[in-house]
Amino acid sequence: MDYVIALLESLEHSALAVSIAESNWAFPIVETIHVIALALTIGTVLIMDLRLLGLASAKQRYTALRRDVFPWTWWAFGGAVVSGCLMFITQATEYYKNEAFRIKLLLLLLAGINMLVFELIIARGAANWNQESPVPWPGKVAALLSIALWISIVFFGRRVGFTMLLGRD
Amino acid sequence: MLALVRWLSETSASSAIREVDGLIPLLQTIHILAIAMVMSSLLMIDLRVLQVTISQTQSIADAAHRFESWIWTGLVLLAASGVTLIIAEPQRTLPNSSFQTKIVLIALAAATTYALRISLRRNAEFFSVSGKATRAAKLLAVSAFILWCAVAAAGRFIAYTQPT
Repeated sequence: MDYVIALLESLEHSALAVSIAESNWAFPIVETIHVIALALTIGTVLIMDLRLLGLASAKQRYTALRRDVFPWTWWAFGGAVVSGCLMFITQATEYYKNEAFRIKLLLLLLAGINMLVFELIIARGAANWNQESPVPWPGKVAALLSIALWISIVFFGRRVGFTMLLGRD
Repeated sequence: MLALVRWLSETSASSAIREVDGLIPLLQTIHILAIAMVMSSLLMIDLRVLQVTISQTQSIADAAHRFESWIWTGLVLLAASGVTLIIAEPQRTLPNSSFQTKIVLIALAAATTYALRISLRRNAEFFSVSGKATRAAKLLAVSAFILWCAVAAAGRFIAYTQPT
């Protein structure tokens, strides 16, 4: 554990972390990018989940919708990860100890596992998911799990802001 | 302004919202989820308008019908959760210059989004799968998205601006 703390402290003392922490503008700008990126991540994930549940875009073939939406999920998620890391390094040891932050990371991991199971196993027959042939139940379960996990991720993410020094409510 | 802030913060509604433990972060969570609805829906319409979507199975009308109602529903949710947050902590928002900037930007962004809706419907190719958007519509689509990003930025800056 000492190694972890030492690594986190060196991140915190890095030139990049110090310059973000010392600037009046950097942290809120990075936070704004994080909000926009996570909004687009979750919004696009939800579009796919609602299609899997048959509640929206039901007329569109699943694979066609996926081609249009999924690349944007990845771009947005990349932006959220980069901006998230920039916030993290400013107070790495504090985030590490923060309970809400730990829960959020765990939920992100679960969302990732859910997506992997869906993509690698459940979505094998996805080419046939069109208006006439609905999504089988494991796909709907994955969609429900995804919605629940992402909403919880936002909730715990917002709680992190209430318990940290630099991030504000 | 000060009198309004004082009166609002002394109402029973204001203290009731503040006193429920965890209610303010919960309202902010709803606020963020509604931002996700608005911005992602607008992104999807914009991508079709700018012809970035690759599947090419949707007319502009299909994209507009699928996503416009989510934008307006999201905006209602944003207004409801936003007003509740203002009632809870009026001193944090009403006298805050970032909040005041945000209100102006919301008016601009909403007007631009509505103008985009009108502009799309005036296009003769609205219902065609291969239909192209007009230049005006493309400009409105990009402007609306940038303005909503600016609204999000002004919103985040509220927490960093001292009320005057």
